[in-house]
Amino acid sequence: MQRAPWWRIGWRNLGRNRRRTVLTAMGLAVGYCSVVFMVGWAGGITAELVENATGLVSGQIEIHDAGYRPDRSLYDTIGGRDGADFESLLATITRDSAVVAAAPRVFAGGLVSSGEATSAGILMGVAPRRETVVSRFLDPLVSGRLPEPGANEVVIGEEMARQLGVAEGGEVVVVGSAADGSMANDLYTVAGMFRTGLAEFDAATLVMPIGDLQTLLVLDPARIHEIAVATGDPATATTTAARLAGALGAEARGLDVAPWPELNPVLSEYVSLADSMYWIFIVIIFAVASFGIANTMLMATFERRREFAVLLALGATPASVVASVLGEAVAIGAVSVAVGAALILPPMAWLHAAPLNLDWLYGNVTLQGALLTPSLRIEPNIPAWTWATVGLVLTALLAALYPAVRAARVPPADTLSGV
Amino acid sequence: MSPGPMRLRVLVVLALRNLRRQLRRTVLTASAMVIGGILLIFSVSLGDGTHEQWIESGVRLGSGHVSIERPEYRLSRRIEDRLPPAVREAAEAAMRSPEVAGNVVATSAKLRISGLASSAAGARPVEIAAVDPPLEADYGMVDDQLVEGRYLEADDRLAACVGAALADSLGLRLGSRFVVQAQDAAGDIAGQLLRVVGIYRSGVPEVDQTLLHMPLATAGAWLGSEASVTGFGVLLNESAATGRVQAHLEDALAEPVARGVVRVMSWRESEPALAAAITIDDFGNYLMQGLLFLIIGFGIVNTVLMSVMYRRREFGVLQALGLTPRQTGAVVMIEGLTLTAASGLLGAVLGVIVTWGFFGDGLDMTAMMQNMDEMTFSGVLVDPVVIPLFSTTRLIQITAFILVMGIVASLYPAFRAARIDVAEAMKFER
Repeated sequence: MQRAPWWRIGWRNLGRNRRRTVLTAMGLAVGYCSVVFMVGWAGGITAELVENATGLVSGQIEIHDAGYRPDRSLYDTIGGRDGADFESLLATITRDSAVVAAAPRVFAGGLVSSGEATSAGILMGVAPRRETVVSRFLDPLVSGRLPEPGANEVVIGEEMARQLGVAEGGEVVVVGSAADGSMANDLYTVAGMFRTGLAEFDAATLVMPIGDLQTLLVLDPARIHEIAVATGDPATATTTAARLAGALGAEARGLDVAPWPELNPVLSEYVSLADSMYWIFIVIIFAVASFGIANTMLMATFERRREFAVLLALGATPASVVASVLGEAVAIGAVSVAVGAALILPPMAWLHAAPLNLDWLYGNVTLQGALLTPSLRIEPNIPAWTWATVGLVLTALLAALYPAVRAARVPPADTLSGV
Repeated sequence: MSPGPMRLRVLVVLALRNLRRQLRRTVLTASAMVIGGILLIFSVSLGDGTHEQWIESGVRLGSGHVSIERPEYRLSRRIEDRLPPAVREAAEAAMRSPEVAGNVVATSAKLRISGLASSAAGARPVEIAAVDPPLEADYGMVDDQLVEGRYLEADDRLAACVGAALADSLGLRLGSRFVVQAQDAAGDIAGQLLRVVGIYRSGVPEVDQTLLHMPLATAGAWLGSEASVTGFGVLLNESAATGRVQAHLEDALAEPVARGVVRVMSWRESEPALAAAITIDDFGNYLMQGLLFLIIGFGIVNTVLMSVMYRRREFGVLQALGLTPRQTGAVVMIEGLTLTAASGLLGAVLGVIVTWGFFGDGLDMTAMMQNMDEMTFSGVLVDPVVIPLFSTTRLIQITAFILVMGIVASLYPAFRAARIDVAEAMKFER
């Protein structure tokens, strides 16, 4: 006898009690939709965290002098006290095919004053045109434009501007300690303002062209603290960093080439933990859903005791009866997946392309210093979604095992004579 | 017409008898509900416990469950916007009143300003908290998180407690001297020499890199602000008391509040990022719980509906014997509601027993969070040991949720039962 009829019988049985089939399939489909949604949402959260941790201000890879982290001393410039030919370093870095762009940076602490008000801040020297390719915080600006080199222009965080009571075109005095031990101070014009959403960063950061900051700090133009590197994909930052370290001869030159998982290990751990959490979602949802399907199958098989008895009396093997019940379960699982996917995938695609703004519900949060804006964004996770599909069909199969075995054990003579 | 007591008893008997007859089906459906109840209690109590820890650690680092400051200070962060001394005294007196004293763990009065700390190794922007050392030792966490040295004492003058990361970046050790510069009360930049007496480590990078504690008396002399402070904060024994203490403080300070010289804030207002972190976490939890019960709900509708379909004849006979459609519906309603309520509440009770019994002293997720024991969420350290929190409000909410679910899931089957056509249902003898 062919194997095909038992599966066909299973499929046909779905139509016997349409309402029951629809309700059971709805329960499973809702379970499927929730798993797809929760996994996609969690993926959106981690994707945004990583993007913001590695693209908003910090780079996906940062290159420093080996002694720079964690003290971040003014004197620990790349290549030591003499500095380095960072243009050739940048050229070597950008030659790597995974690298999108690289930009040099100088950092120092200082006081920023305007009129009566004073704020303490981090002074950050950047190459504006290069910086906007590596990081996002200067492009677009909230107002104004990027500072021109050599014109004593700066851009400051919006919150710092508010605390200082200074607007675009206003003047600020910057005071700091220079590398030669002298007091560094100068007058600057505010060319523009930026907003990252990171409250502390926006309240305490002043950005100026790298050459201007080197002049203020009496640092040689060859001395920089950091090269920030943007790569195409944050997931490959670690391998790219290793490759760059080789290309730059990092060991010999005393350079530290650090990918973001090394710069922010806790966030990197969180991302892998969030990945393993998908399993918990899938298991809990389908465990609960399995009760619904077990119940339905149990009722369906109980209802058809006579039918099974006739089949067995006519010579069907118990195994084929099991196959027909399992076939019914697989069919209902397949229907649920189809319905669930049809219901959930379009909104998932929509929320991926145009995340829903939730700022009426909550404000910005930060996780390990990485910004998370209030939006409902979905990031497709094909492996987890595939597992959810497989899991649903497996759930249906497992839940139908007991009813199937019971159906196969129907005593034909007793059942048929009892009517 | 309402069913009399006799009739009602019959309806209940009919409903319960059917649950008993279909024991296997009842048990399967009930199991889903019991598991749902356990999961609900477990996740809600651990979620609330987590949030209580976040709030506690957030407010101890920040400005307290309830805090007062000048309305302008929140935005300006300037030393000019200090609290009038009379307001601080009134607030302290209000916190000693018997209505709220039971909830008040500690109070704190601080002068918080931003400044620049410099040493031979460089300069860093810092957040300066000038504190009354004995008061602050009860209130804050810096004294519990010392890795070296000691916390500030009452007669300290040029002493400071600094974060480990700040000490590293300025090359400071115990006994090192450094200079802080900030704007003083007159608007000029003033400097002050301090000596490191203690180094703490909170695990929150933003704090360890920027926050330093110094005696209020020294800061008053340095900045010309004397004993006045920018903020007064209250630490409570439970965040649930926040609203009551805030209202009490607003009453006590009604006059200055009306004049607009002081603002009373809850932690939700003073720590918006923390409030947002809790909202997003709650949002995720509610969504998960809602979806879970939606799935369970489909199972229940299915079971009760099936039991209606199998008993068409029975309902036909009942209606032929004089039961109104509404009473027929009531039988089904009682059946569905009994099933969900009993199993849901059993699940909730088991949930409390399991959660309390196994994790009452804290669920240790260190193993799951290895290498992440220092993760911060909106500036709050996430503690890997979560102590579940149960509250009457939550238990009432959960009970109501389960009952509403039972009613909603039984509505459609009850409607179907009420609409059974008597003649049609009894037509065939099978």
